[in-house]
Amino acid sequence: MTTGQAVPLVEMRDISIAFGGIRAVDHVSIDLHAGEVVGLLGHNGAGKSTLIKCLSGAYQADSGEILINGKKVEITNPRDARAQNIETIYQTLALADNLTASANLFLGRELMTPAGFVDDSRMEAETRKIMARLNPNFRKFNVPVSALSGGQRQSVAIARAVYFNAKILIMDEPTAALGPHETQMVAELIQELKRQDLGIFLIEHDIHNIMKLCDRASVMKNGQLVGTVNVADVTGDDILGMIIMGKKPAQAA
Amino acid sequence: MTDAASHSPQTEPKRSLLQTLEIDTRLLGMIGAFVVICLAFQMWTGIRALPDFVPNPLAWLGAGRFFVPQNTFNITIQTVSVAIMAAGMVFVIVMRHIDLSVGSLLALCSAVMAVFQTEILPDTFGLGLENPATAPLAVLVGIVTGVAVGGFQGWLIGYQRIPSFIVTLGGLLIWSRVAYFVAGGQTIGPLDGTFLMLGGTNGTIGVTASWAIGSIASVGAIWGVWQSRRARAGHGFPVKPVWAEALLSAVAAAAILGFVALLNSNEIPTARLQRLFSARGEVMPDGYTAFYGIPISVLLLLAVALVLTVVSGRTRFGRYIFATGGNPDAAELSGINTRWLTVKVFALMGGLCALSGAVASARLSNHSLDLGTLDELRVIAAAVIGGTALAGGMGTVYGAILGALIMQSLQSGMAMVGVDAPFQNIVVGFVLVLAVWIDIQYRKRTGV
Amino acid sequence: MRNAVLLAVLAAAGFSSAALAEGLTVGVSWSNFQEERWKTDEAAIKAALEAAGATYVSADAQASSAKQLSDIEALLAQGVNALIVLGQDTAAVVPGVQAAADAGVPVVAYDRLIEDSRAFYLTFDNVEVGRMQAAAVLAAAPKGRYVMIKGSNTDPNADFLRGGQQEVLQAAIDAGDITIVGEAYTDGWKPENAQKNMEQILTETANGVDAVVASNDGTAGGAIAALTAQGMVVPVSGQDGDHAALNRVALGTQTVSVWKDARDLGKAAGEIAVALAGGTAPDAIPGAVKFTTPGGNEMNAIFLKPVPITKDNLTLVVDGGWITKEDLCQGVTAGPAPCN
Repeated sequence: MTTGQAVPLVEMRDISIAFGGIRAVDHVSIDLHAGEVVGLLGHNGAGKSTLIKCLSGAYQADSGEILINGKKVEITNPRDARAQNIETIYQTLALADNLTASANLFLGRELMTPAGFVDDSRMEAETRKIMARLNPNFRKFNVPVSALSGGQRQSVAIARAVYFNAKILIMDEPTAALGPHETQMVAELIQELKRQDLGIFLIEHDIHNIMKLCDRASVMKNGQLVGTVNVADVTGDDILGMIIMGKKPAQAA
Repeated sequence: MTDAASHSPQTEPKRSLLQTLEIDTRLLGMIGAFVVICLAFQMWTGIRALPDFVPNPLAWLGAGRFFVPQNTFNITIQTVSVAIMAAGMVFVIVMRHIDLSVGSLLALCSAVMAVFQTEILPDTFGLGLENPATAPLAVLVGIVTGVAVGGFQGWLIGYQRIPSFIVTLGGLLIWSRVAYFVAGGQTIGPLDGTFLMLGGTNGTIGVTASWAIGSIASVGAIWGVWQSRRARAGHGFPVKPVWAEALLSAVAAAAILGFVALLNSNEIPTARLQRLFSARGEVMPDGYTAFYGIPISVLLLLAVALVLTVVSGRTRFGRYIFATGGNPDAAELSGINTRWLTVKVFALMGGLCALSGAVASARLSNHSLDLGTLDELRVIAAAVIGGTALAGGMGTVYGAILGALIMQSLQSGMAMVGVDAPFQNIVVGFVLVLAVWIDIQYRKRTGV
Repeated sequence: MRNAVLLAVLAAAGFSSAALAEGLTVGVSWSNFQEERWKTDEAAIKAALEAAGATYVSADAQASSAKQLSDIEALLAQGVNALIVLGQDTAAVVPGVQAAADAGVPVVAYDRLIEDSRAFYLTFDNVEVGRMQAAAVLAAAPKGRYVMIKGSNTDPNADFLRGGQQEVLQAAIDAGDITIVGEAYTDGWKPENAQKNMEQILTETANGVDAVVASNDGTAGGAIAALTAQGMVVPVSGQDGDHAALNRVALGTQTVSVWKDARDLGKAAGEIAVALAGGTAPDAIPGAVKFTTPGGNEMNAIFLKPVPITKDNLTLVVDGGWITKEDLCQGVTAGPAPCN
């Protein structure tokens, strides 16, 4: 909830990316502190996904810097991002439908036996442990994730982030495909993760969820930053105004 | 929440027999189809063999000529070349690619190996055709060729982003013509004696060695079953009841030993034995009989199958191939280098084409210019009949080999009962479409 | 005449072994049954086998040597007593002959040479065919620029034919009357390949071609298609007596088709196979001679004599029941006998 004077957990300074002739992100600066949730808002095509993919390693910025805990870092691919304890939960969840929950959890970071083979049993055991904490009713460990419901797939994606000790979490519309009960589950999970001092970037469209979950909100329009506000200080309509009309906020935060 | 793991094995509540055994029902379906085909041909050849028609299925089964040891032995050998490539094709198709060039690549590798052993080795290095080093060197050169060409195709597909259909279609047209030039437009032979042992009847290991290998394999299979039980139990996962494990072990051992027995009952013709004896300068004792045993080419296929099965299920390489096929974006985002993976998969396919080329040319005792023609269709059909989904993400090595076996049995059987060649093609095409249709229905039913 | 005597002798031999032939099975391994010609051969073989009381089984290798090997293995597994093999590739078929020899099953190499002394070689005298082809074309075009359209380079017959053609043309070549401006093998004997090769040669020589010695009717047809496209008609040879080719002879677009009555070949093959299966030794087959192959193998062989069919003796093929007058004379106006 606080912004204070502490060194931000993540600071993206003056980031720009262009694709062809289109400026997808135009000199945008945002930051995130430990224990807070910052919402990243805007139209489709406003540039928020593109901006956050620079942090997650899927894209590389043409100019600008990324600082983690005040130190400049280079993130050129998803592995680098993971090495910085940045975990992403994509809108499409980035799950391989034909693999099981544990195979997906450990994808790219498999546990190996001493002989150099993939240790499926150990990975399944670890998966069971973490799923027990997040979603105790989860049973389908040996089926491909295509057989799971939307909420169950979401919990696998979240479990992946949590298992690997993410310090910085990026969530891209996590509740978009979920019903009210599962949305509530995710909301509680976010609260729990905040308590553990994670910093969370949340890309959201639903104003209700923004007001409920976010501490601050950064709004983008047409690749540029409209402004960053404290959610407590503004109303839903104010934020809508920023998103739709690009109306600058009365006070910046 | 407390940890749900305990350290004694639990068993799940009662389920059907098949579920308890945890056998892939698709595999059972294919084995069933295979058995039906064999029995059908056994009866059909039996009807033809009987002088008068009797409406007695048992008589047909008894008189049939499909199951004679000679025929089953032949079918096994005939399947090897296509099966080796089909096993590799599984990986290619799982990754949502296709390789249309395998037949042409087989021809190229075979031409290179033939020219290498008949011209380059003797002329440049003075190693003649009966030198023990000739065959291994030739096979090595062939594999290097296959891996290089396959890797090149993989580079074009993975890094240059040219669709695999196009690259390998080009390969189909190009590599067989390159093979033609390498071979100088001639059939090349005779090939080195050791090399020819890859051909099937020329290289079998005999009865004793076959039983030895069969026993080792059975012990290995049983150990595998109990080992995986122990690993699961060690983590507290549910395991199958003991009787189910025992049943599976028994079936596995019986299948392996049965297969060995079948190959061991194929008798070597007397004329051939006499030739072998006189080649050694000895006289054949009266009434001497000998049996073939497991051919070396079949051992090669089994080794390839074993290695590829381990790779697909138990290595990161295999895991990443399946992940990329299931969701290429997810794989990229998980940090998997899918482009390099593509190069490796096509290089692997190329290496397997070289092995198949060695087997095919050894069988003919020559490199012939039409080697490998249209093999890509058979290989893809085998993989698909074996359960590999063209949409990617799903497939098994044992399925592809079984698919190759089914197709070869079908063709062999039809030839035995005198079905016209054009009609044989019609039947094979029909079986292919039917198999895929069944697969789609199965996936719909099981929600996979 | 010699043919007739030979056949009579063989027929006698066949009848005398008819008793032994009861219950015998003879297997035929075709290299590519899809080609038009082989149906006639098959009918003749079947008739001969039936007359001897033997059963006929066959397999079609669809132009693949690997498949031919599998076919031979399958036929052996079925328990045939003799094999008639039309080899796809003279060297690559040897493992099949090996397998047959191991099983004690005699092999007749049908029409195409198999480089193996254990097989019995039955064919028309292909060198003589080549001589007849060249002679007919030479008579029609004693001087000029010649093109040689040869057969498949994996089929030794192609070289036998070429050798015979060369013998006849040699004198004219030496005298400078004839120059060979183009020469090409035809992959798989396929007419479309012959057409492509001919088109190539016509382009290179700017249509400077006076005669074509083609090695069979299929390739002759391809060459003639290329010539017709350029509006040219020159003397062309062929062999097999394909109906289309005989029609061309009647029309005047083809000079000669050397006729090897495939019925004679099939009949002889059937009878020889039955005799060998019944235990007759290969060199005891009536009419068998010794033949040394290009590869240096000595084989027992029988060579049947071919007949060159030109516009002057078309009645032979009609009277012999090979082709109907209607088929022969299709589209012919003011043509040679029997079409006028």
